Amino acid sequence: MRSSPKNKLSHDAIKAWRVSLSIFILFLVLGLFFLWGYKLLSPEDGFFSMWTLIAITVILIVITGLCIFFIPEIRWRRWSYQVDEHEVDLQSGIFIITRTLVPIKRVQHVDTRQGPILRSYNLADVTISTAATTHRIPALNEEVADQVRDQISKFARLAEEDV
Amino acid sequence: MFELQRQHPAAALANAFDIIRANFITIVILIFVGSGGREANFTLYWIIGTFLFLLVWGAISWYRFQFSVEDGELRIEQGVMVRKKLYLTSDRIQVIDISAGVVQRLFGLVAVEVKTAGSSSKEAKISAITREKAEKLKALLRKKTEKSDDSQEAEPVLQRKVYALDTRDLLIAASTSGRFGVALSVVGVAFSQVEQLISEEQMIHFVETIIPRSTNASMIAMSIFAVIAIAWLFSFASTIFKYYDFVVEVRENELLISRGLFERTQLTIPFNRIQAVQIKEELLRQPLGYASLVIESAGYGESEGNSTTLFPLLAKPQIYNFINEVIPDYQTEISENSNVPSVGLRRYLFRMLWISLPVILIVWSSIPYGVYSWFLLIPALLLGYQQYRDAEIARGKDILILTFRLLSKTTAMVKKYRMQSCQVQQNPFQKRLNLSNLTIHVASGNQGRAFTVRDVEITEAMDYRMWLSNGQDGSVISDDEDGEALNEDVDNPDVTR
Repeated sequence: MRSSPKNKLSHDAIKAWRVSLSIFILFLVLGLFFLWGYKLLSPEDGFFSMWTLIAITVILIVITGLCIFFIPEIRWRRWSYQVDEHEVDLQSGIFIITRTLVPIKRVQHVDTRQGPILRSYNLADVTISTAATTHRIPALNEEVADQVRDQISKFARLAEEDV
Repeated sequence: MFELQRQHPAAALANAFDIIRANFITIVILIFVGSGGREANFTLYWIIGTFLFLLVWGAISWYRFQFSVEDGELRIEQGVMVRKKLYLTSDRIQVIDISAGVVQRLFGLVAVEVKTAGSSSKEAKISAITREKAEKLKALLRKKTEKSDDSQEAEPVLQRKVYALDTRDLLIAASTSGRFGVALSVVGVAFSQVEQLISEEQMIHFVETIIPRSTNASMIAMSIFAVIAIAWLFSFASTIFKYYDFVVEVRENELLISRGLFERTQLTIPFNRIQAVQIKEELLRQPLGYASLVIESAGYGESEGNSTTLFPLLAKPQIYNFINEVIPDYQTEISENSNVPSVGLRRYLFRMLWISLPVILIVWSSIPYGVYSWFLLIPALLLGYQQYRDAEIARGKDILILTFRLLSKTTAMVKKYRMQSCQVQQNPFQKRLNLSNLTIHVASGNQGRAFTVRDVEITEAMDYRMWLSNGQDGSVISDDEDGEALNEDVDNPDVTR
């Protein structure tokens, strides 16, 4: 696609995403352990075969590898955003690339939010709401996030006073 | 002014029915659980008991419900357990709906529903008053907002344009209704449940005695035919009920739509609330050259997207006249348009192939004569081809027109300044062919609605995106009126409790 938006996310985003994806995978691994335990303790129970279990394990290992080593990296590389007085321009996606345009005049409210993982890396998400949709710029530096939020709300106010 | 007063006592009954309608499934479950499979008499008592309880509840809520109009403010006091006071200032009121359900019609009454942008409308509903009172109430509440138009409104009554759906068109609309598909699936599911109710022996017995020399195949054909016929009857009847005596009245600032056979509904839609207009050409109507008009409006305080049928059936040549006369804002000269390039055709065809293959395989493997399901591929691919032909993006002066087809062909017209956001999407397969999807979101109800055209050339999609981004024309004025109204409603809710 032509000229991507200018600004990138914080580089720490990759680490933060890695952590949150790992937590998600941890649950899957726990589930898998449970299945293995079940199979090893009562091998007579023909609920599922050994091969299914091995297949699941292999798939999980592949997913884990992708999630931890590739996806955050690719996601970070794809993500970029740009805010000016007329519009918010976003680019995101891992396989499917999405370019989103939100006219500043249509912005109803902007907030920043952060969960425990983002907080530990001093990051925050910026959420932009219109009457129809909600858009998110994930994992910006705290200061940058505040700046972007204030900037959008300032532009939104200006756009309205314009007339 | 309106004195503090109660509704017509019939409101008790209407309230009871409203509760039943809103909680129908819960009540059914309650009845089943309550009776616990004991004998039928017990269930009957339970039903009567529930109904009596609801009736008493309705009566109490009727007694506790009082309304008045003072200083151009609608004041409602209500609540059985918790006392609630609702004050609605008239300039906050967006829509006043007057409708008459079955209960109201029995007593020659109407229900009035007052809707504002922010609040949920359930609470500001007067469920039974006489029509005169309703009209007076409406006039009182409208007066404040349209003070400036007041003088004009008295004189040019003749200027008001009225469009009605005649009987012939109603019948055509009913027989070609798109609800057919919905009805079909409902009847199909119901039909599949029959198996569980009737045991197999009974079924075979029935088949052997009633239809002696019929083969298995003709049985299947017959039941399919029966399902289709029943579904068609359902959709026919429901369309007639819904659109009977359909009238659109064009007023100065708003459209007034009234419709319905058993339940008369009146809708008032201010022009500056319209977010988008859609021309829908349904599968059965398109060959006959008919289409329907649907508008999206915002700020209704309803959870789902809010589409309203502006006119259920119009012949194709009439459509642009109708738009010109009723919603002239949406009349436009197309200055530029782009179709899907021919490399996009295979994506449309493959998409239909991927969708229909699993269905075919399942049918093939699970039912007798399932081999014939391969014939589904023909209409599916034809549909894909037609989707490819129909897909188009066009633009006029300040209007973007997206044409696309799932089953029925939809032409969505969106004012540039009504667009909430614009997305261009590209997946790896599209990247090779330089294609992308363009999605436009508009506000509708509390959520939005999205219109997507698939597989247009990426450079063109980005061009349209650019065009939409620097939209600072004269159009901004009306836009801001709206934007402001929406914001204010969010900031200071007009409902004081």
